Amino acid sequence: MSQGRSVFRDETKLDINYVPHRLPHREHELRLLREFFGFTLQSPEKMAQRVMITGDVGTGKTALSQRFGADITHEANLRAINLRYIHVNCREYKGSLFLVLQHVVSVFHPNFPKRGYSGEELLQILVQILDEENSHIILSLDEFESFVEREGSDAVYELTRLQETRQNKPQRLSLICILRNLEAVKQLDASTRSTLQSNIIDLEKYPKQQLIDILNDRVSSAFRPMAVPEGTVGLIAELACSEGGNARFGIELLWRAGKYANAEDLDTVTPECAREAVSSIIPALRKSDVATLSLHEKLFLLAIAKIFKESQKESLSLNEAEQTYAVLCEEFNTTPVSHTQLWKYLKNFSSLGIVQSKVSGTGSRGRSTTISLPRIPAHELEKELKISLSKETEKS
Amino acid sequence: MNIEDALSSRIRIKILKMLFKVGELNVSEIARRLNINYQSASKHMKILEEEGILQHKMFGRIRLYRLNEHSSKVKALRNLIDVWEHQDKN
Repeated sequence: MSQGRSVFRDETKLDINYVPHRLPHREHELRLLREFFGFTLQSPEKMAQRVMITGDVGTGKTALSQRFGADITHEANLRAINLRYIHVNCREYKGSLFLVLQHVVSVFHPNFPKRGYSGEELLQILVQILDEENSHIILSLDEFESFVEREGSDAVYELTRLQETRQNKPQRLSLICILRNLEAVKQLDASTRSTLQSNIIDLEKYPKQQLIDILNDRVSSAFRPMAVPEGTVGLIAELACSEGGNARFGIELLWRAGKYANAEDLDTVTPECAREAVSSIIPALRKSDVATLSLHEKLFLLAIAKIFKESQKESLSLNEAEQTYAVLCEEFNTTPVSHTQLWKYLKNFSSLGIVQSKVSGTGSRGRSTTISLPRIPAHELEKELKISLSKETEKS
Repeated sequence: MNIEDALSSRIRIKILKMLFKVGELNVSEIARRLNINYQSASKHMKILEEEGILQHKMFGRIRLYRLNEHSSKVKALRNLIDVWEHQDKN
């Protein structure tokens, strides 16, 4: 652990369970959810709603639902409306309707017995509790796939058509179903599907710029001022983008990079800390890959590693790498290869997943290539290349 | 029932302390926590209910017992147990 000052101000703001007050780039979806459930703030007993939230991992489905839940219950409290939002991760409850309902009942009666009744009885018990408390609940079923997989159509149908067995009585249960895509729902029979699929909010993957905004938001609440440079945020956003626009991955990486900075007694979370962090999650450097490179490929890659190690940059240009490569060639007493050949090497490094390269659009001064080293700590790459090069010079 | 009879049982005192702490429980759970049999727990709960100290609510076949918060006896007992337990800790 660091003996100095921590880069963090409040690292709990990076915890997976933390729900931020603001959800950058999900404002529209949050408004939509509020619209769908607007009735709960007027006359919750008169209707029930069912909404599905879909999107890939890390697109903010859970955060969106929980933020909405916290906001709407706060608003309901102000209006003296008895509304509760209950978030259940179905996978944690093995996708079982019985266990999910047991959890919901335990919100009202924490010591309710765990045995002695059937699933159907439990549903009736829940309705009785809600009637007695004159309460409406919004039940958010996260990882809904596991529920569908385990219980199939009947259980979903029971939940969605609860009201049909109690006509002219107040409505008590609304649903939010959270899932990656609609594949799981296709397993349900047609009538059950039709009860679910009317309101769907699909969350798109976050592009890099949106990930930068999200990360900056967390940086400002979780880290000390100036502790995380722009370059580090950009690099982490790039990595999260390559992981399918996964904001959760980015936030976890941010936390981990902060831990590496603390462990090394640094005042700032450098891009190298982020590389250390990502390589601890995804080992990206295979020694066999390095061993198969030619002498000039190794020298060129060493040049890239050296620049990243010494400059703490997020990215560098091909020209910069070429200049350092030329110096290394002098050291190794060999003639540098051509610019075109280096460009080919770079393509090979990219395909091996060692670096990422990007060609900028054509401008008045032509194309330029930028290189980034997102996954491998520069010092680790440098070390590996030096070992490999020394073996090579020993042989010759 | 006289107070000396109502509070003459260690088990009844333990039931009261438990319900003051956790709010509500069914008979089986009280029996389990006190390591006594169901019949014994049920008998003591019935006595406390007849005294107006406990009340129950049915949820399907499940009977949950809780303290009758409207009873002045419960208020007095809460006070007594609070003072007693607090003194024990000091």
